[in-house]
Amino acid sequence: MAEAMQQHGVDQSQSGPWSVLDVYGEVELSWSPDLRQEVLTVLAKSSALAVRLARVTYIDSSGIAALVEGFQRARSHHQRFVLLSPSPPVRSVLELARLDRVFPIFPDLAAATAAGG
Amino acid sequence: MSARPLLDLELAAEAAALPAMRRQLCATLERLRVPAATRDRLVLAVHEACANVIRHGYGDRAGGRMRLSVYRVRQWLHFRLRDQAPALVPPTLVARDLDECRPGGLGLPIIDQTMQRWCWLPQRHRDGNVLNMWCRWSKGVS
Repeated sequence: MAEAMQQHGVDQSQSGPWSVLDVYGEVELSWSPDLRQEVLTVLAKSSALAVRLARVTYIDSSGIAALVEGFQRARSHHQRFVLLSPSPPVRSVLELARLDRVFPIFPDLAAATAAGG
Repeated sequence: MSARPLLDLELAAEAAALPAMRRQLCATLERLRVPAATRDRLVLAVHEACANVIRHGYGDRAGGRMRLSVYRVRQWLHFRLRDQAPALVPPTLVARDLDECRPGGLGLPIIDQTMQRWCWLPQRHRDGNVLNMWCRWSKGVS
């Protein structure tokens, strides 16, 4: 989906019931509205969304807000929403915002599936 | 305050200018040998301050400018961010409770948790705001 030269992007795939968004690069003010839209678009047609964050090198509060909005929308519509393998920069911001206790976070899709997402 | 800032950067108040600001600030903090974890938190906090200027100060309007200056004053790092946006009303600048889970409003709590002191000073009788942020730091101590 994204070109190699881009500093950020998202690859979308399907694994069983899960729609997977594999986010990479810097997630910040200039791009987070696109990620927010991507998350909401997937949630409009899928009952389970996993957002993989292993390749995210930087995230700011606007990127976190996009994830929170997706999580809240999923919860209100009885959908599954999980975060997979957040990179150290992402985990640091999640902890700073105390959201590591809010989001379901798993190392991989198998663990999320085993836990019921 | 020392006469010469460690970093003095004027930048456009737009999201596209933030990655370069982060890189320059990161390099400045690396030169001071600020530990990586502390450095990354400081860069994030300053980024959030700039993002607030862009979104709330200038309201995403193009053409605004801001100026970031970084000083070292004894055991303190002092970050000063100036803009020419309409003066903000100080009572509205309160870091929200992080136990409240909602999208948005995370910028100030990030600043609040990273800096030991911060204050936002609207300019009287003219546009513009100055955000001062201080982080206690001494070499070798995170």
